[in-house]
Amino acid sequence: MSAAPVVSTYSMWSLFRNCRKAVEWRYLRELVPLERDWNLYFGSLIHECLQVWHRGRDLTEVLALIDRLCPNRLQDEGQRRDWHLATAMMKGYAGRYPVEEFEVNGLEKAFQGPIINPATGAASRSFVLAGKVDGVVSIGGDHFLLEHKTASQLDADYLERLWTDFQITLYAYYLEQALGIPITGVIYNILVKAKLQQGKGETEEEFQARRTELLAKSKTGKTTAKRKLPETDEEFQQRLAEKYAEPGMFHRETLYLSRDRFDVLRSELWELTQAFLDARRRGVFYQNTSFCFNYHRPCAYFALCRSNGNPNVLENFYQRAAPNEELREPSGEANEPVF
Amino acid sequence: MPILPTAKTPPKPALADLTVLLYGQTKAGKSEFCSHAEGALYLATEPGLNSLDVFQVPIQSWEELLAACAEIAEGQHPFRTVVIDTIDNAYRFCSDSVLKKFKIEHESDLGYGKGYALVNSEFQRVLTKLAFLPYGLFLISHAREIEVETRTGKYTRIVPTLPDKARKIVLGMVDMVLYCDLELTAGQDGQPEVRRVIRTKPSLYYEAGDRTGRLPETLDLDFRKFLDAFQTTVAPLKSPGAAKAPATK
Repeated sequence: MSAAPVVSTYSMWSLFRNCRKAVEWRYLRELVPLERDWNLYFGSLIHECLQVWHRGRDLTEVLALIDRLCPNRLQDEGQRRDWHLATAMMKGYAGRYPVEEFEVNGLEKAFQGPIINPATGAASRSFVLAGKVDGVVSIGGDHFLLEHKTASQLDADYLERLWTDFQITLYAYYLEQALGIPITGVIYNILVKAKLQQGKGETEEEFQARRTELLAKSKTGKTTAKRKLPETDEEFQQRLAEKYAEPGMFHRETLYLSRDRFDVLRSELWELTQAFLDARRRGVFYQNTSFCFNYHRPCAYFALCRSNGNPNVLENFYQRAAPNEELREPSGEANEPVF
Repeated sequence: MPILPTAKTPPKPALADLTVLLYGQTKAGKSEFCSHAEGALYLATEPGLNSLDVFQVPIQSWEELLAACAEIAEGQHPFRTVVIDTIDNAYRFCSDSVLKKFKIEHESDLGYGKGYALVNSEFQRVLTKLAFLPYGLFLISHAREIEVETRTGKYTRIVPTLPDKARKIVLGMVDMVLYCDLELTAGQDGQPEVRRVIRTKPSLYYEAGDRTGRLPETLDLDFRKFLDAFQTTVAPLKSPGAAKAPATK
């Protein structure tokens, strides 16, 4: 009896295209860094907020969710920062889009389908492809995928890159098969993360040091300097609200999908499965060192590769976690009965 | 007479082939532990060896450390194990040297993390070279607590005092990470007794590791017991060259 096909995702194939070694660490050895990646964590938090918002358009419910997700914000500086940013971002978002031009047809739509050999039309016995789209919406009878993105910076490069997004073509293709509806395009819903920090103020000693410095520079021997006090939560929220009132903090980009892209995609995806099988059979997953510092920061597996997989690094800086986390139900909304 | 071998050379494992990071709280007995290593030579980057009868080279700068390493590499000496006590100070000397070379006050003065990268590269270069030498290498570090935010929650973790990136470099090149800890046990009279131990396996609460995977999880902080454990469990399992080469490639 043959084994069940492996459930693969966009993340896996995208990573395989970029660095095979990283795929081995993540999908075969099932390793993830021990320390949480803040960007990924915050992206997930905002995704959850956007799901709630687009489901009922009830800001109170969204803000209550943020409160629940940051329960220790009074003591924990990291949670307070997340709470402030998420709260201001979602308030700003609700203010920016009080009415939507699209109708929401479904949120968190999961799909799974075969990977087809374009030459023969036969399905792969080794892999199926699964995924979950943030939303399916319609405008005047045309269906679009809704894709949420949180970005640190929104510039021309970012927008240009959207055209090359392999993920969305993949999702559109599979969703068409799963739902039986044509997907016209994708609406990228981009939310920018404000870089503002809550003012910490200065201690009496710091103030005195600054004052002494100012007095030394002053020609009159006087200064009007006052001690900087910590910024209150209200003041910081106000500053964030002003930031999120700026037009550049939210952006919607609509891209139309060409049918030709689907053919290219099917062919590429099949090639990737064959390359993966070959790598697995030969046990060779080589590094793409050009990818180590993609996005100007080290890859999550950089320390592991640099040490040639030294178990000391593996056991102290990584933990095991089953792959395809993006397919899991969000916490608290799992379908399984509690007992 | 044929000169080619007819049988494999049996493994000659020795602790002197290994690179070990030993860390723990101040006065835990780390330096004393290493003083029992075969032919130990201390590159003493901080004072504190006064009570030990050991061979030592006081090191007060990166240049002095490089000079000592160069002399060690020449091999005209009886030493078998090099102990850098502490590697934290060695890193600081390395940083000072790079700052001086580039005429800057802080690593961040060179933009885009270049200063940090230069220090880490130099540090790694020298440690790698040192680890390749046919001597045992013991790196001593102090311990500190850090807060680690994982997917499942926050933990307080005890780690060596090296800066984050340097720590990852060192952990990636050593064969063993030994954490010196105190363990509360019941004594023979039933009274609580504090035992000095070495932890050799990683935990969420401290960093440790043993590439061989054969040392017991906890050992007394006693070099002879450590050596016994190493020789009875590790040594017969190791193949020639397995100790140094993979760790320092």
